[in-house]
Amino acid sequence: MSLALNAIGLKKNYDGIPVVNGISFDIKPGECVGILGPNGAGKTTTIKMIYGQVIPTAGELLVLGLNTKNDITQIRSRIGVVPQDDCLDTDFSALENLLLFARYHNMDSDLAHAQAEHLLAEMKLSEFKHKQVEALSGGMKRRLAIARALIHKPQFILMDEPTTGLDPQARLWIWNYFERLKANNTTLVLTTHYMEEAERLCDRIIMIDHGVILDQGTAKELILKHIGTEVIELHVGSEKGYWLSKVEQAGLKFQEYEDNIFIFFETTESKQSFISHIQNTHYYVRAANLNDVFLKLAGYQIREKS
Amino acid sequence: MYNVWLRNFLFFRKTFVVSLFWTTLEPLMFLGAFGFGFGHYISSIEGMSFLQFYFAGLLCTTAMMVAYFESTYPNYTKMTHQKTYAAMLLTPVSTQQIFFGEMLWAATKGFLGVLGVFLISSLFGLFNSNFFVVAPILFLLSLVFASFGMIMISIAKNYDSFVFSTSGVIVPLSMISGTYFSLDEIPYYLKTAAYIFPLAHAVRLVRNVLYKEIGWIDLGHIAVLVVYLMIFSFIGLRLFRKKLVN
Repeated sequence: MSLALNAIGLKKNYDGIPVVNGISFDIKPGECVGILGPNGAGKTTTIKMIYGQVIPTAGELLVLGLNTKNDITQIRSRIGVVPQDDCLDTDFSALENLLLFARYHNMDSDLAHAQAEHLLAEMKLSEFKHKQVEALSGGMKRRLAIARALIHKPQFILMDEPTTGLDPQARLWIWNYFERLKANNTTLVLTTHYMEEAERLCDRIIMIDHGVILDQGTAKELILKHIGTEVIELHVGSEKGYWLSKVEQAGLKFQEYEDNIFIFFETTESKQSFISHIQNTHYYVRAANLNDVFLKLAGYQIREKS
Repeated sequence: MYNVWLRNFLFFRKTFVVSLFWTTLEPLMFLGAFGFGFGHYISSIEGMSFLQFYFAGLLCTTAMMVAYFESTYPNYTKMTHQKTYAAMLLTPVSTQQIFFGEMLWAATKGFLGVLGVFLISSLFGLFNSNFFVVAPILFLLSLVFASFGMIMISIAKNYDSFVFSTSGVIVPLSMISGTYFSLDEIPYYLKTAAYIFPLAHAVRLVRNVLYKEIGWIDLGHIAVLVVYLMIFSFIGLRLFRKKLVN
């Protein structure tokens, strides 16, 4: 089968300022791809271009073989979208929200009712189905938004920060649900800045910042390539200069952040030999993770929410 | 387009008591105060009672006001805070369908207001079988001001923006379009000014059909309304699309 998504040189400018600056990537059917990046990196703009709410300034974007330029209606009838801010219709109850969406998708009424009830049960929302949306908790609203995206049984689902603002229980539940969708061969594209989420769910990760792709690959590949296997977090205090020269001499990869130096090791042996030199300094050893890759590639500066 | 209309109808079903209260009761209060009350002191105007004269104007201002208000405040909320349109655009519903669906709904609501006013005033002796002829005209008028409202929500910066269109356009139009006084008895240039705007044409047309003779000139009034509708929809749709998809 052809690609689920094919983006070529995708660009979006706002007032001449590029938000997405020529990105190209592919997504295969059944793949779960995470788009990672700090606030303002261009994640949401990219997702919005896929479902047609943002029109690219330049580039080509094919979704399920259809061009977003001409066939956006057809694309929307075949994909499910969970937007960042849920966009549930607060004038209606949970069940009515699903039925309305089924109507927008021109679904047959009997089928819509059956599918809505099925999804409400699946999302553990059956007993709240007659509640107004406003009365639901954040986790429930998000589950309802997911149910709404699935009402027409799409094979391709886009989710913009699906678990942001949710408590750990709700997040875990959603992750489990996504794993079931993946098992069903559904193509999933999600944006997140929870590294744990990306590491756990995504077959492939695309890291973006300032509108360009920094790197892409599996979580494992990215961690090995940019970091290694283990990390020592060294709290150096006022002796930073001393430690920096030492780390540099040893030819190790590292990042400095305020009073800390994060040193990356490719092998356990190199880590052990380094530890043997540490005296009277606090350190902490842990496995390298995607967070290290993210911070290394995107930098440590705090981003203003845009 | 029908599904967008239906969404509003389903919501209306939940809230119709409040909704009909203001759309029907408010015009009826005007009818009581001006038509029955004030009109009591006027023997005749354009060859009819002031009550009849004013009633024709009131049907038009009701259509205008209700359609305009329905297409501004609630739709602006759906466009911004409630993100109803953003949600619709996650589905095969297009911006064009949303635009015309909303316009059609606002006009429906305007027409329901007119119908309410007509039915209740019929109980007070104002029944007129020609109403069934003016009904489509009033619906057309509702569409004109629904499309005007759609332009306004597409350029509004916040709710305060509607003060300009309400106090600057809608309320003055309800005053100067021959609703309270005869346009035949004011200076020519003022009369011409009034006929630049669509409401005066609708009022004249409705009054002619209800209580006077109709002639070829009435086709001109209809044409003016149709042209306004086309221009407003054309501009409105472009601005609306720009606001939703960028």
